[in-house]
Amino acid sequence: MGLLRTPFRQAIAILAVAYALIEFGIPYIPPLFGVASAKIPNTVVLQYLLTVTVGILIWVSDNERRWTEFKKPIHEVLVRPDRKLARGVLLVGVPLLMAFVAYGRALPDMSAPPSFRAIHPAPPSSIPFQGEIIELTGLENPLRSVGSLDEHYEEGKRVYYQNCIACHGDALRGLGHYAPGFNPTPLNFQDVGTIAQLTESFVFWRIAQGGPGLPNEGAPWNSAMPAWENFLTADEIWSVIIFLYEQTGHEPRRWEELEAAEGTEAEGS
Amino acid sequence: MSERGSLARALRRTALPLLCAGAVVTALAFLAEPLFAQGYTPREYGDFPIIGSRAAVWIAAQLHLFFAAFVLGVPMFAVVAELVGMLNKEERFDKLAKEFTRLLLVSYSATAIWGAVLVFALITLYPRVWGYLAEVFAPSMWVYVGVFFFESFTLYLYYYGWDHLKKGRAKWVHWGLGILLNLWGTIVMVIANSWLTYMMSPPAEVTPDTAPDMVRFWSAFANATWMPINVHRFIANIVFGGAIVGAYAAFRFLSAKTDEERAHYDWMGYIGNFVAITALIVLPFAGYYLGREIYEFNQQMGTTMMGGFMSWLWVVQAFLIGVLFLAGNYYLWVGMGRIPGAERFQPYTKYMLVILVLGVMVWATPRNMIASRDELTAMGGQFHPFLGVLGVMSAKNTAVNLMILTTFLSFLLYGRANKRPTVSWAQRGTIIQGALFVIAAAIVLFYGVYGYFVPAIVRIGFSVYQVLAVLAAIGGVVTLNVLMMRGAESRGEIRWGQMPDRAQYALLVLAVTFTWLMGLMGFARSGIRQHWHIYEVMRDTSVDAATPALGYASIVISACVLMFLGMVAFIFWVGGLAEKPVISGVGSVPPPEPAAGD
Amino acid sequence: MTNLKVLGVVLGTLAVYTWVANSIPQLESVVPEELSFGADVTEAELVAAGQALFNGGGGCLVCHGLPTRAPNLLTDQGGEGTIGQRCATRVPGADCKTYIYESLTDPTAYVLDGFDPMVFQARVFSGAQLWALVAFLQDQGGPVTVTGADVAAAAEADAAAPAAGGPLTASMDPLEIMRANLCLGCHVLDGEGVATGPPFDGMGDRIDADRIRRSILDPGAEAAEGFQDQLGTMTPTIADLLSARQLEVVVQFLAGQGG
Repeated sequence: MGLLRTPFRQAIAILAVAYALIEFGIPYIPPLFGVASAKIPNTVVLQYLLTVTVGILIWVSDNERRWTEFKKPIHEVLVRPDRKLARGVLLVGVPLLMAFVAYGRALPDMSAPPSFRAIHPAPPSSIPFQGEIIELTGLENPLRSVGSLDEHYEEGKRVYYQNCIACHGDALRGLGHYAPGFNPTPLNFQDVGTIAQLTESFVFWRIAQGGPGLPNEGAPWNSAMPAWENFLTADEIWSVIIFLYEQTGHEPRRWEELEAAEGTEAEGS
Repeated sequence: MSERGSLARALRRTALPLLCAGAVVTALAFLAEPLFAQGYTPREYGDFPIIGSRAAVWIAAQLHLFFAAFVLGVPMFAVVAELVGMLNKEERFDKLAKEFTRLLLVSYSATAIWGAVLVFALITLYPRVWGYLAEVFAPSMWVYVGVFFFESFTLYLYYYGWDHLKKGRAKWVHWGLGILLNLWGTIVMVIANSWLTYMMSPPAEVTPDTAPDMVRFWSAFANATWMPINVHRFIANIVFGGAIVGAYAAFRFLSAKTDEERAHYDWMGYIGNFVAITALIVLPFAGYYLGREIYEFNQQMGTTMMGGFMSWLWVVQAFLIGVLFLAGNYYLWVGMGRIPGAERFQPYTKYMLVILVLGVMVWATPRNMIASRDELTAMGGQFHPFLGVLGVMSAKNTAVNLMILTTFLSFLLYGRANKRPTVSWAQRGTIIQGALFVIAAAIVLFYGVYGYFVPAIVRIGFSVYQVLAVLAAIGGVVTLNVLMMRGAESRGEIRWGQMPDRAQYALLVLAVTFTWLMGLMGFARSGIRQHWHIYEVMRDTSVDAATPALGYASIVISACVLMFLGMVAFIFWVGGLAEKPVISGVGSVPPPEPAAGD
Repeated sequence: MTNLKVLGVVLGTLAVYTWVANSIPQLESVVPEELSFGADVTEAELVAAGQALFNGGGGCLVCHGLPTRAPNLLTDQGGEGTIGQRCATRVPGADCKTYIYESLTDPTAYVLDGFDPMVFQARVFSGAQLWALVAFLQDQGGPVTVTGADVAAAAEADAAAPAAGGPLTASMDPLEIMRANLCLGCHVLDGEGVATGPPFDGMGDRIDADRIRRSILDPGAEAAEGFQDQLGTMTPTIADLLSARQLEVVVQFLAGQGG
């Protein structure tokens, strides 16, 4: 542990460990325990590392003694005659590094620009559906109050397996056969952030109007989801919604609670 | 009509020194004068060179608001500080209150000037909107002017009467003046709030066809978001006032020449920071209330705010709040270096730091990550399969509650550092306090994790339990602390003034961050109206109808903050020339007890 | 030096925040376009504009959303199907387009059995807006035959004779004024009319002339007692269709009802 005796070295070590954890730990450790994971986008890696760096700076400087010790090697490299070599390497190396980064940024890039999407755009208060106007505000799934839930579930299952499975997949995780071909990729219904956060009327709107019916707001859209109102009846859509919720075990958000929930998000600081 | 006009003229003659009053009334005179309407069609929009009308009005409004928030926030704790001084017979609190008030006096005219600039900008650049608002709100504008007038004179009495009303009952009269000052200030704010909240949430019966003189005054005045904005601004003003006072103290500390000055401004900075952070902890609840009312008023508007156009703004907000938490705690931890006995606690700050850093990371983890196409493919969608769980409300609420708890712990340790309790149950008390922290943290974590396994409707209720647990723990610990610290022995005096400069820079960063955050939230509140002057009543048909992107907004906000801080620096500098505060013996009095204080 | 450092910290902090805000997605909220029509208008544009009118500013749903107040348009009515399906066969000799257009411009022309004439003031709409409504209604189950030429002709006519305004009748008889302006479509007087809004019978006992005048000029401002739910359903354009004399005649007549 002699290597790690000074705060400066400790700080560097913490930063290195944090980087390793973020860049490699998160993608590769959870799968060892059977939990899905993936590489973190660079923007988020940068954000995490910045936070960690600020944390480290706070740690080295919140105590006078540690702060002095932390600064010592920096100071030494900058002024002591016998550290001339290290100083030279730094003075040449840092600008070179900056130049390298700048060069990398200036290179023409073949990849598509990053895409930004608001996944849940603002729903209209009413939509046209097969020539009728449907009020979305306050709308509940009409099938929940008639007939037996099992029947609707079975009907929804039929609809799902005839129409949706190719993209949204057998496990409802958005991993159907065609899924890799799309951007945005099909929605993962099992995720806590998709249908679990939405009212059934919202889901109805998205199924009925699909990609072409998405509002312009929030983001550029190029979803390949068809407008299912042209292929399915209202009851078929409502039953497949029941199937989605029953199968994933999620519950739809109910109306009177919506304001409260989003209110938290508003300024849940 | 003529009555209105003549009143306006009379006021214009007599009350010219009140610039703001004059502006409002002149505007009314323009409206009331039928002559002006004859023979030509009034234009709908003016034009401002280079930056455009929207930015011009934006900057004027934002600067007016910055000054107004300061001018409203400072008297609140000036009055509290004066009371503390009176009750504890501590001279230095009285001096602090007076110094606050001096800052107030010099910022007051800046508030009025920017108010006038704003009104003139509105009259010249947005005559149609201004005309409409003036017609709907005319009576309240006259009251506004009147109350503003009273507020000014109460302030003069309060400040210049300080030394005359010093003894016995007269002191209480003086304190009463301070209360009156706050009362006037709050009324002024509440009236102005009604105008801008009307633009956000006009009553449902008002349609684009409703003539402005047919809008019923009270329903327009007490509109849906009026009260939430009142509450939110009231608290935020305290936070803001505290932060600016902290920054002022930090600056004076840094440029101080003597140890006495340093001791005084070190202490003042501590008080400012304490006020700001304490009020900040309450602010999210007011924000929650406001968000809820916006949703109730109009779902579309609510969704635009949270899920649509504005959704990325909250990522930036999360970043700023992270800075606030880290800087606030950093200030306290560095400050422990000047408290005898604080060495006991210093080894623990690193664990608190770890909690805070993790909390900030979770808090700022976006749900939809910005990713290139390859990264998207690797993640299999917009959501990260593993970190995606940190993007939803359960995780955020848990993180922020733990961060609040940690910050409170910092304050507690800071206040306890140089005390040795003498009560017989001190050890048991400390254990109970520790247990309260652990229980609260456990409840927060439990509901945070459990939240993933229940439907949304149940999960929303959990955030209430989490908050209640934290508040209950804070309440319990504070009560115990007050009892436990009765007759506590001192381990040594706080060495006020022996504070490293970097802690003062943390205070500066705090103030800049608060100011910037205020500008950002102002953009959010105003921006959700989108292309409406008055939501779904009066359309914005100007060239600036589109709501700008966040990047542009951030540049305007930064410019406003810079101008504000520049002017504040100048005003304070001028104020400092006029009167040097008499500082004596600050270093030898016991420190304030944060947990038991105001 | 201290001042410079402080300035540096402030500027640095501001720079970081500005950078963060600029490094995330830059979205400007766009202003929804207002449709303008010309001869080159497409069918889809017309239908969309008509739909917006029908659901919003036109106020059509006030009555056509309630099955008992007015015939269904978007759904089946009397087994004849939606409006687009039945419009061509409703009146012999009138094709679908003519039938709908005339029903709009002359509310008393083809009143369905069991319903009252429409409380709809076509003259507050531009010719183009009327054609957009026709197109939208045709689209409900039938082919759209409205063309850009119709719209262009209507726009020209509008330009020649500045639209709207002016009383519907020159009469100064209160009853005639009320019948011509379809007041009795919602208010009952001596057994005549439909009881949607507050009855005219005994109105003078309940409210004074000022209140009556206000309620006509700005119907959305105040609800009559017991009719809070209907607030906002009375068309605000009535005031544009009465001359000042007619308004006073009606106000005084109503204020004299009862007691």
